[in-house]
Amino acid sequence: MSASLTITLKRASKVYHEGETIAGVVVVDTTADLRHEGLTLSMEGSVNLQLSTKNTGIFDAFSNNIRPINLINTTIELAAAGKIPVGVTEIPFELPLTPRPHGPALLETYHGVFVNVLYTLKCGMKRSFLNKPLHTSCQFFVQYRPQERAPAKPVRCEITPATLRAAGGGSGARANMPKFQLYAELDSTVCALDAPLTGKIRVDECAAPIKSIELQLVRLETCGCAEGYSKDATEIQNIQVGEGDVCRGRDIPLHMVLPRLFTCPTTATPHFKIEFELNIAVVFEDDYLVTENFPILLLRSR
Amino acid sequence: MPVYYKWTSETKQKRKHDYPSLEISNHPLKIEVYNVKLSANKSFLESLQKWSSPFEELDPLLRFEQLNVENDLGPDEKIENTINYPKVWNAKRTAILNKYTTGEKLTIVSSFLPGGEKISSFSALLRQVSNLNEKVKNRLEQLDDFDESSVRKTMGLSQQEFVTKIHMLDDEIKKAWDTEQRVKAFKIAIQCSKLLSDINVMQFYPSKFVLISDVLGNFGALVYDRLKKKSFGNVDIKFQDIDSYNVPESARETCQNWMFKMASIRELLPRLYMEMSLLKCYTFISKSEIKPAIERLTKMIRGIGNPLVAIYVRVYLCNVASSLFGKESECYFNDNLKEFLEEYQQIICPNMAKKFGTQLLTADQYLSLYIPAVDWLLYGTLNYTKCKDTLLEEMLEKCDTTENSELLLCCCVSGFDSTSIIKQSTAIMDIIRNQSDHMVLLSQILSSVGEHLCHAENYCQLPSEALSQCWWKIATNMKSTENFLQVLEPWLQFACNQLSSQHINMILRGTIRYMIKCGKPAEDYCSQIQSVIKRMLKSIPDVEELFLMDAFMPLVELAQTSNARTAMAKTVLTIFFERYNAVEIEDHIIISSLMRLCCILHDSINAVTVEDENKVCAELINKFIHAVSYYDDLEQQLNFYVECRSAFIKLDSVLIALVHAVNALAVRADESRGRWLQRACAAYVFVTVPSLQCPLARAQLYLLGGQAALLTGCIGQAEANLKTLVSLIPEIPQFVQEDGQNKPTHDRVVGLLSNFLSTLLILPDNMDSNSKAYILSGFIKTMERIHWKKTDPLYYTLLLRSLDLLCEMTQESYAYHIDGVLSNDELYGSEEEFIETIESHATNICQELLVVLKSLGDAKETKKQYNLALELFWRIVRRGKLKDSSMTSLATNLWALAQKIQDSNNKFAKALLSVLEKDSSEAGRRLLTKINTS
Repeated sequence: MSASLTITLKRASKVYHEGETIAGVVVVDTTADLRHEGLTLSMEGSVNLQLSTKNTGIFDAFSNNIRPINLINTTIELAAAGKIPVGVTEIPFELPLTPRPHGPALLETYHGVFVNVLYTLKCGMKRSFLNKPLHTSCQFFVQYRPQERAPAKPVRCEITPATLRAAGGGSGARANMPKFQLYAELDSTVCALDAPLTGKIRVDECAAPIKSIELQLVRLETCGCAEGYSKDATEIQNIQVGEGDVCRGRDIPLHMVLPRLFTCPTTATPHFKIEFELNIAVVFEDDYLVTENFPILLLRSR
Repeated sequence: MPVYYKWTSETKQKRKHDYPSLEISNHPLKIEVYNVKLSANKSFLESLQKWSSPFEELDPLLRFEQLNVENDLGPDEKIENTINYPKVWNAKRTAILNKYTTGEKLTIVSSFLPGGEKISSFSALLRQVSNLNEKVKNRLEQLDDFDESSVRKTMGLSQQEFVTKIHMLDDEIKKAWDTEQRVKAFKIAIQCSKLLSDINVMQFYPSKFVLISDVLGNFGALVYDRLKKKSFGNVDIKFQDIDSYNVPESARETCQNWMFKMASIRELLPRLYMEMSLLKCYTFISKSEIKPAIERLTKMIRGIGNPLVAIYVRVYLCNVASSLFGKESECYFNDNLKEFLEEYQQIICPNMAKKFGTQLLTADQYLSLYIPAVDWLLYGTLNYTKCKDTLLEEMLEKCDTTENSELLLCCCVSGFDSTSIIKQSTAIMDIIRNQSDHMVLLSQILSSVGEHLCHAENYCQLPSEALSQCWWKIATNMKSTENFLQVLEPWLQFACNQLSSQHINMILRGTIRYMIKCGKPAEDYCSQIQSVIKRMLKSIPDVEELFLMDAFMPLVELAQTSNARTAMAKTVLTIFFERYNAVEIEDHIIISSLMRLCCILHDSINAVTVEDENKVCAELINKFIHAVSYYDDLEQQLNFYVECRSAFIKLDSVLIALVHAVNALAVRADESRGRWLQRACAAYVFVTVPSLQCPLARAQLYLLGGQAALLTGCIGQAEANLKTLVSLIPEIPQFVQEDGQNKPTHDRVVGLLSNFLSTLLILPDNMDSNSKAYILSGFIKTMERIHWKKTDPLYYTLLLRSLDLLCEMTQESYAYHIDGVLSNDELYGSEEEFIETIESHATNICQELLVVLKSLGDAKETKKQYNLALELFWRIVRRGKLKDSSMTSLATNLWALAQKIQDSNNKFAKALLSVLEKDSSEAGRRLLTKINTS
């Protein structure tokens, strides 16, 4: 005799907005009549914070893990104790997605390194003393309702040896630097999450051959509060826009699709902050790297 | 049956035959000429179909034809609305694969290709220990599964191995896909596209692109098909009809996932390729996204620094676009071509020059790697552009102003249609002349300009001479002889089309001068020279004119080795006779030139030459012999034949043709000039024939020679011919070799000898000899001497025919005569001694026939026996003197024999009987009653 539990959501994308109802079915598939002590479904949402090892010194007294922040927690009973007949049984359910009264508002699902916002549906079947209870879970995603599109804020910059704040090397590095002049432009620093990030870059002049031109999306996660916090920048994705020694004086488009789950609207709460930055990097043939940094604001907008 | 019957022939009084006859309007032997035109492919097909209809299986030739027709029809239909780009590309694709090959070692980087040896050793091991239990086997197989994460680099692959590996990857994608490992399939596809960023072994790059683009196309199709199935089940829905509103959410979600996966590929080139291969799938999300995506990709390709890699990405983009949008995609060709032109200087940047230099490629070879791609972009652009002339003008201006524009110029010249190029020919030649000293691809450009000019109509006002001179100046400065000849080919045709023969002659002279000056033996360029000459022969309006140029023959004989000369002679002769439309050649210069070529051809034949080769040569020489005519100068004509005989002695079929020609000449000769020419002809024939190999052919020619001599009144020669023929009969073999098969000579011998016997009727007897009917007696003796099998139909048929002849010879006046030749009827006037001799021969033959009848009976050949008996019976009835009792009784006996052995099919006997019944003569009546009573 074997039995299995699965949760199937009505919405294939599993994306829900605050205030919507999560509808679906719990499927029980059993090869014999199944006696149980009750079937429950719970919805959980929480923010998990983790401090980076770099900064643990300050927080040694505490632990690496900060207590998760609970966003939502509802449980309903799908079926009272009884018997489920042999075969496939579908038990439909509906759960409203609303934050706890007086609790914090719902946040968008986000998978980061130090901050994670997760939503799960858990279904459990309690069974008699001799049988192990059955469990299953299913993630779903929460997104803000799209707001009005913010006005575009274009930025442009020129990168020449003179504009560089050379890291580490000081003036010595600057001396044997090849002559170059780059022009970069972002269509907007305020970006909608489901639209690609666009812009262009132009190599007007460059004495050394170029190996690669890359676009790097970086997240800045800040954990903690007034008494001490950790701030870490990690790469989300790196996309090449130019390969090899590209033609001079031609606009090369920048185009990056923002990855789902790993990005969310720029968020700031008392306990943590999630911010994003964009780096444009030009790598020369001798692996010399020139980067320009743009802080960007991500929004869930139309 | 009495043993001995004396044969007596009936002398017919009336010459007019009384057989039933019909009045008809035209001669039964007149040849009807049908003018059937097979030009249209369709009718040819139909005729093929007619022949193959009895077979269930389709005739293989027919199948090929049908394929051709289908192929032909395809593009024709499309021309009205749009061009079928995938089809055109397919043709191009094959051309690329054939052209861009390499002997260099290639490298492939992939984590999905197993090390060949490892897997084979494992599977061998598995096979060996097949009795291992399942568990162990499973473990071994797990070991066999290679580690996916490790990337392997396989070096030192030959081209063929590389192709196999690519196909393996393609299979691997399908396998992974079918086993639900879609991410693995995706990864393999990405790795494949990464291979395209490797430009080591550049000369293989276009082919590599073709191979890998196929793999990517297959992958794209897998994704697309699955999404389609997810959305619409198994309904066959076309790309155009998919509406994203009807796509279920789950399919849309899957598609979106693919797109996110694709968008997060780190490297630019694989990301571009993967997006293109998945471009079709955007239709499940929103169709309106596709076109902006193509435009975006067009711009993103700018990020590829390597110009060779970049242009092939553009080609792939255009291919994908054209397969989706057909005609509407042409604007993308245009866009991409423009992008390419913007970055044109990248091609010749020092960086690339260094790269192709280290790979030991010449600039020529390097630039030619771009040609298929630029051609393809230009092809679409041309279909997009309404006014081609302005586009060409723009392009030419660009060529003129930019440095190193040869690649562009080359593609323009080959891509545009002839009318546009012809219009701009002067401008193009100017550009070429200005840059000619450092121009790469020069010969290619020049020759394709030449090709275009070949299509120029006569009436269009071209400064032909100026163009030709300009070309000549550039061409003579070319260093490579090969290139020179390549260029020469089309331009010479142009000269043939447009310019005077003096001009052509000048070019030919110049060519010879160039060939001599270049210091290399002409043999090395033999095939090229040959194609130049071929082209010229085909294009010159009047072929004869060529032979009148003083530089033509020296050019033909420029290559000195016998092989080269033979090949050249063969080509020239073949094309000459193809194009030569007059019946006769009279010009002495042409005759002697052709004679020379024929001699070269003939001299090439030796003991080891294959038979087909001989046949081809002989055919050409025969054509020549038939074509030469000196009109009324018959003596000259005969001299020519004598010359030919000595020149072409090795070829039997030429000798045969000569004998025929001489016979014809003899008959044509006018008697008024005396008999000497006829005698000379007869002597020619008599002397020529013995040198032939085949006795049968010899016999035929002797007969023909005899007949011709008889016709021209040379009785002595006729007799000599026929006498030799008789002596030749024993030598005729039963089988002759023809087309590599043994063919029985039986029927031909019967025909030949029957013909011979008919000729004998009119041949006057030799008065000097003491036997009457000299030749005939000789023939009968020969027949006796040859130990033919008695039951051989050949034998008794000839006996019957001889009997016919003998009967006819007893007549007072023969059925036919030749004017001026006294036949035996007039010669002997039915002299008794002569008749007696004839009758005794007849008696002997009749006797021999009875022996044959008996032996046929012994051999149980009833059917043959029956037929022979009736044949003989019939001859007695028609030709024998029925009043004679011996004849009547023989007839009755034969009839009785026939009745005895008759088989079910006695039509023959019935027919004979019904004729006999109509016979009103007394003897006939008596025989009839006798037959009926017996």
